[in-house]
Amino acid sequence: MIKFENIGFKYNESGEEILHDVNFTLELGSYHFLTGPSGSGKTSLMNLMSLGNMPTEGQMTMFDKKISTLKREDLFELRQRIGVVFQDFRLLKHLSIFDNVALPLRIMGESDQNIKNHVSELLDWVGLEKHKNNLPPTLSGGQQQRVAIARAVIGRPKLLLADEPTGNLDDEIGFRLMGLFEQLNRMGTTIVIATHNSNIIEQFGHPCLILGNGTLHASQSSNAPIAQKIRNVF
Amino acid sequence: MFSKIKKLLQPKIKTLGNALAKNPLVIRMLKNLGFRDYDLPLNQSEDSKFLVLLIALMSFLSVLACSGTFALNDMAARWSSGLENKVTIEIAVETKDGHLLSNNTVRKETKKLAKGLKHSPMIKSLTVLSNAEIQELISPWIGDSLTLNDIPLPGLIAIELRNSNEKSLNTLKSDMLKLSKYARLETHHEWLGDLINFTRTLKNLSLFITLIIAGVTIIAITAGIRTRLAIHQKEVLLLHAMGATDHYIARQFQRHAMILSLKGGLIGAVLGLITTAVIIFLSAHSGTALIPTIEISGTGILLLCLIPIIASVIATITSRFTVLRNLSKIP
Repeated sequence: MIKFENIGFKYNESGEEILHDVNFTLELGSYHFLTGPSGSGKTSLMNLMSLGNMPTEGQMTMFDKKISTLKREDLFELRQRIGVVFQDFRLLKHLSIFDNVALPLRIMGESDQNIKNHVSELLDWVGLEKHKNNLPPTLSGGQQQRVAIARAVIGRPKLLLADEPTGNLDDEIGFRLMGLFEQLNRMGTTIVIATHNSNIIEQFGHPCLILGNGTLHASQSSNAPIAQKIRNVF
Repeated sequence: MFSKIKKLLQPKIKTLGNALAKNPLVIRMLKNLGFRDYDLPLNQSEDSKFLVLLIALMSFLSVLACSGTFALNDMAARWSSGLENKVTIEIAVETKDGHLLSNNTVRKETKKLAKGLKHSPMIKSLTVLSNAEIQELISPWIGDSLTLNDIPLPGLIAIELRNSNEKSLNTLKSDMLKLSKYARLETHHEWLGDLINFTRTLKNLSLFITLIIAGVTIIAITAGIRTRLAIHQKEVLLLHAMGATDHYIARQFQRHAMILSLKGGLIGAVLGLITTAVIIFLSAHSGTALIPTIEISGTGILLLCLIPIIASVIATITSRFTVLRNLSKIP
């Protein structure tokens, strides 16, 4: 279970408060969209959920562990349970597609044979097996996005966070990509997708966390009135 | 000629290199040794060359400073052991009250002393130095152009004692004065002590310089690693976000620093050893006894050869601690 209680966050002591009084609970295996206007704190909230930053206020519980009670060393293992798809992909340009996708497994200390098998299987799944020796800059935006997703899911994360994963893709590829996330969710992965795209939110009908002015405005469990809620916040 | 050989060998070496690089056994072996591509693009940094050059320079200076330390150590040991239990009795040409003795008197007094002391139980060996030997000893100061007849020469008896403790020296002195009132005992301790003190000071100075070089190397490596951490901050944060431990990230930097410092260390050490060999050669062939022969023992040479490894250990440890300290600031 992932639980945020009265979470507040600012980048430095004297800085502006980016998030305040954020409260929500995500059950394991759930699927949520996170939406809100630009500057509402979506990326900051995603950073908190990926344990990239620590809240300045409140209590954060990840996988039933209270983060404030953990030592810094304990966070490495927790981060390995989280897959992140960044908006700008963040692929390592000097590494081949294969090595980019293999990175989380190498960090986990998997054997070369396991890495080879899993990476080949996953690249085949995202349709990039024949590009495995290419470097990222030689691929199109959509292909790079798929590499980023493959890298995020290769370690079989319990939580997958994706920041605007369809932002650089045309509608058709975007919807196919969302299909990939649906598949992962059916396999038990908890998914949070930050997006501006209300079409996707409405079409896939998953609960939605709506951020506005640094706080959570609504946490909807059905998509029926969601369009109106989003419109209100935007 | 050289370009022909190069032209002939280059494609073959390239083919062999490519074949080895594709060989699964070689790939597995290299991976097991940790020679996988870096996760971070560390080996693509342009300033790597600067770090190699800097470490080469530091290694070069370290080899010279250590050579100096070892040579001085060796020299002091040679002087000490060469004069251990050895004393010299001199029949000086000039007496205490300022009178000059004739060559004849000097020779007579020397012979009398040698005869009287020859069978003393505390003396192991006794040699009366010939005029030729005395001239050889003083030739660095007066040159070879003067003949023996031009200057009065003292009488010298080189003695090796069984034991050079205070008691035997006192006994020898009193026996000597009984045999000749012109005799003087030279134990070498005074001037040898000064010389050894001077050598020790030089040795300490060399050690101090070596420490400064090591310090400068550590500072330069720390700065280099910090710069790389700043350049590759995005990639480091990505690995961190994926759950890479600080040690996983630090290993990449320390391996990078180790390879660069080994490269630089080897270049510097080879140049330093060549320079040291040239200095040793020149000292041995200087043709004057005033410049002592510089020698470095086998152990000393072995230690000099270890300098690249020491440099690489320093670089590895420094980079590890620099990276770990910087990463600890990330939540």
